[in-house]
Amino acid sequence: MSYEAIAILMFSSMMLMLLTGQRVFGAIGFIAVISAFFLYGTGGSELGFTASLKLMKWYPLLTLPMFVFMGYVMSESRIADDLYRMFHVWMGPVNGGLAIGTIGLMVLISAMNGLSVAGMAIGATIALPELLRRGYDKLMITGVIQAGSSLGILVPPSVVLVLYAMIARQPVGQLWLAGVIPGLILSLLFILYIAIRCRLSPHLGPSLTGPERDMPFREKLRLLQAGLLPLFIFAAMMVPFLNGWTSLVESSALGAVCAFLVAVWRGRMTRRVFEESVRKTLGITCMFMWIILAALAFGAVFDGLGAGRALESLFVGQLGLNPWVIIILMQLSFLLMGTFLDDTAMLVIVAPLYVPLVKALGFDLIWYGVLYTITCQIAYMTPPFGYNLFLMRAMAPPEISITDIYRSVIPFVGVMVLMLAIMMLFPELALWLPDRVYNK
Amino acid sequence: MRLLASYIRLVDRLNFRLGRIAMYLLFAMMAILFWSSLSKIMFRPSLWTLEMAQFLMVGYYMVGGPYSIQLGSNVRMDLMYRKLDSRQKAWMDGFTVLFLITYLAFLLYGGINSTIYALQFSERSYSVWQPYMWPVKLVMVTGIILMLLQSLAELARDILSLRGHPPPARPAPIIAGSGNGRGEG
Repeated sequence: MSYEAIAILMFSSMMLMLLTGQRVFGAIGFIAVISAFFLYGTGGSELGFTASLKLMKWYPLLTLPMFVFMGYVMSESRIADDLYRMFHVWMGPVNGGLAIGTIGLMVLISAMNGLSVAGMAIGATIALPELLRRGYDKLMITGVIQAGSSLGILVPPSVVLVLYAMIARQPVGQLWLAGVIPGLILSLLFILYIAIRCRLSPHLGPSLTGPERDMPFREKLRLLQAGLLPLFIFAAMMVPFLNGWTSLVESSALGAVCAFLVAVWRGRMTRRVFEESVRKTLGITCMFMWIILAALAFGAVFDGLGAGRALESLFVGQLGLNPWVIIILMQLSFLLMGTFLDDTAMLVIVAPLYVPLVKALGFDLIWYGVLYTITCQIAYMTPPFGYNLFLMRAMAPPEISITDIYRSVIPFVGVMVLMLAIMMLFPELALWLPDRVYNK
Repeated sequence: MRLLASYIRLVDRLNFRLGRIAMYLLFAMMAILFWSSLSKIMFRPSLWTLEMAQFLMVGYYMVGGPYSIQLGSNVRMDLMYRKLDSRQKAWMDGFTVLFLITYLAFLLYGGINSTIYALQFSERSYSVWQPYMWPVKLVMVTGIILMLLQSLAELARDILSLRGHPPPARPAPIIAGSGNGRGEG
């Protein structure tokens, strides 16, 4: 059998294995070790464990438990409640204003968190019930929360960009800065979409009425203070990091300590909150680490087969395509795979194949990191497999059905694809900020 | 059947205890990294912190892994799985958990070889601190063995429920109002 055929066989059997509904890491790991065994004999049987040593050396992943813990401290202790009230009061009078406010809330939460888990938890438990009660269209707001929370992996700090940085060997600091402007533009596009939809059909997002609207102005100003909290936590993490006083993982620990102290200071760190956030952090971290572990083994076999070079010769040599066509094809293939396969595993398996190709084509790897992350965001929300979908299903109130959740993401996926196009047309959007900061 | 049930109870309890201990390693990592940044700003950077935090992280997800299985934190792609009834799920799981067990068995094989190597040659890490490698490898092997025990317990659960016996309940922490003890992630 030719190497290409083996690679395709591995890929399709992984797909099949995932469909059985076994835990993702078990399915991927199984294919990896079995193929290594048959390809390389007894020497190949140690490949699975070798991956765990490699994973240990990927020390930036230490940020994962830190960011997850920060997120859970914020969502479980409900210190984000005031933040939500702030947006609620300030944006309420506009049609669709609460949905727009929710996007704003998500941006701030993303700036304190590296994954979409926290935004999702806060959105589904605090914002969603409120919005439903006020007669907002459930399809729209379900989409708003999923799309908004996915900003968590684009706005710094971002764990997906850390993972990409490890694979592409690019500096995390530059990647994070590169995500800032695209993240803000993307949230603006979301807001624009909501505003236009609600302008055209106001019943989707009725404006606030009555006493809530007539709150005294001083009271409104007082609520703005809630916005100081995320700024403080964000600064405590990012200022020492960008100035080079602390390393990446140290900064993430600083952020976690800050979030914890803020919760204690506000008197919200009860035993229950403590238990829930510590336990869920373990659960999420273990899930991601074991998937990455299995995917690393899979990627090693895949790489050994020369799948990367085969891909390059196919695209560049045989088809002789224009670099831009190749980039677009790559994103399309990633989107397609991202819908069916585990997104983290995809990142670990596919990125090592794509990154050298992108580099060979002469594109900037920092820019591609942002492109990759946006694609990943879409993959997080597209059924049947996406972390945001899972989280939403676990947390959403019963009146929101699975079909609602699936349908709600469609327009937002459209907006994100538009964002991908914008990023391809104007790479400066990603590259300007890191250039300014690092090449003074 | 009684034997299976007591095996499940035993493994569940063991992994629950160890997992709960591993869970708090989070704070050990946080403390070390916090100390690391303080010492870097105040006097001089310490050499051991980053590597020590790495080792703790290994313990965290390896020894904590079985507990995360108990919590149901590991995602499944449930496009088809979701539509099965509980009996069909048990059949499917009982079969596919063998894949998981195979994977873990390979991990264990590699782990034991690598640990023996590290012990024989007093392998050290390539860093300024140069710690011995065998302790962390031993932790990995322990974690993998615990994972294997837990996967076998999952298999035993499926067998029990297919035979019409309700499997024993999972251990849960005793904390007022802490939900049902299952993670949602």
